[in-house]
Amino acid sequence: STHLSEPDEVMKDFGESMQQWTAFQTKTNPLSLSLTSQLRLILTPSQSTKLSGSYRTGKRLNIKRIIPYIASSYKRDKIWMRRAIPTKRSYQILLCVDDSKSMGESSSGNLALESLVMVSRALSMLEVGQIGVLGFGANTFMAHEFNEPFASHDAGAKALQRFSFQQDTTDIRLLVRETIARFRQARLQNPGHGGDDLWQLALILSDGLTPSNEHEDIRRLLREAMEDRIMVVFIVMDDTANKKKDSVLNLRKVQFVKDAIGNLTGDMKMDYYLDSFPFQYYLIVHNLEDLPGALAGLLRTWFAEVNA
Amino acid sequence: MAGMESQNLATEAQQVRVNFTSSEPDLQLPEGKSQLLVPGDIKRYGLSRVLNSGSMLNTSSPVPLDFLVNGTFLRGSLEDYLKENGLSFETTVTLQYVRSLIPPVYQGSF
Ligand SMILES: [Mg+2]
Repeated sequence: STHLSEPDEVMKDFGESMQQWTAFQTKTNPLSLSLTSQLRLILTPSQSTKLSGSYRTGKRLNIKRIIPYIASSYKRDKIWMRRAIPTKRSYQILLCVDDSKSMGESSSGNLALESLVMVSRALSMLEVGQIGVLGFGANTFMAHEFNEPFASHDAGAKALQRFSFQQDTTDIRLLVRETIARFRQARLQNPGHGGDDLWQLALILSDGLTPSNEHEDIRRLLREAMEDRIMVVFIVMDDTANKKKDSVLNLRKVQFVKDAIGNLTGDMKMDYYLDSFPFQYYLIVHNLEDLPGALAGLLRTWFAEVNA
Repeated sequence: MAGMESQNLATEAQQVRVNFTSSEPDLQLPEGKSQLLVPGDIKRYGLSRVLNSGSMLNTSSPVPLDFLVNGTFLRGSLEDYLKENGLSFETTVTLQYVRSLIPPVYQGSF
């Protein structure tokens, strides 16, 4: 077999990945269409109906300008408001898929790949910008570059080929750091940069488990992402179809309390894992059918917050 | 900064996801309470304390427990078990708990 640049990478057979892509696409087609129509309303700004600004001619008088207008002996005559034309928005969306072993040991891996197919198809049908796919675990890799088209089966199958759920750790701190770095680079290489209003969005598809002692570092990185106008949504794959009791919602973590110098005090603490989960925007998906509505709802909330 | 992060990692043991099962009819966990994240350096005594706590079995008096993993008694830490079996921290370990036959005085060695 041929050796690849990344030493421990396992590539699946292309034909197999193509079959998998086609099967997932057929299965998730109605969901993709539903997500497309929901996202169209959210991601593409509607014709602005708000009147604003100050012009010599316009639709309606700006009351605040009337007194200065009279006081200036009718010289400051920009007293009219007009309908604002929205700027064209474009997006760079990075789909980050967990390639760690825990995904393969549960059925979360399959759910994540189905979600990847469903979401990436919905986004490419929307034609709102560039799509990238990133794999993560012990390290990160680009399974699909932003500047390559995603419209064909080929591109999708090539991305699927890279996921085999063999990575020994799940380094989410590294993932967030790499996401910021790749978005910074992608912003510079964006074809329409300068003119368009560019938004960057990362969707993480994972079973959600990251060591609790990394949570503070991850929070700090997420603040950094926010300052760079990068939005990060964590989609927790929680396939509970045949084992409801194992849901991440029930998962608790045990800590043996230590004093300031690191000695055990004899006390024990038990908290729900999700209580200290560092991602502000996250969704828990038990069934693929839940994803379009939940994702659209979350993005709607976020856009309402940033536009407020 | 990298140094600070690795120091942070060193002070806390890595977590292991465990799933508890038991065939003792009077020691069954309530639904949804069978899985936990525990520090990897935990051993039999620590696990026994965890299961006896109010938020798990909530026993009126402590019941010393032993743990079987894949049919053998857990002797060292969970971390040791993973290492010896070539497993990573990505694996969910299923632990079957049984009433301990070890005399209670042994409990002191966590
Ligand atoms: Mg994992």
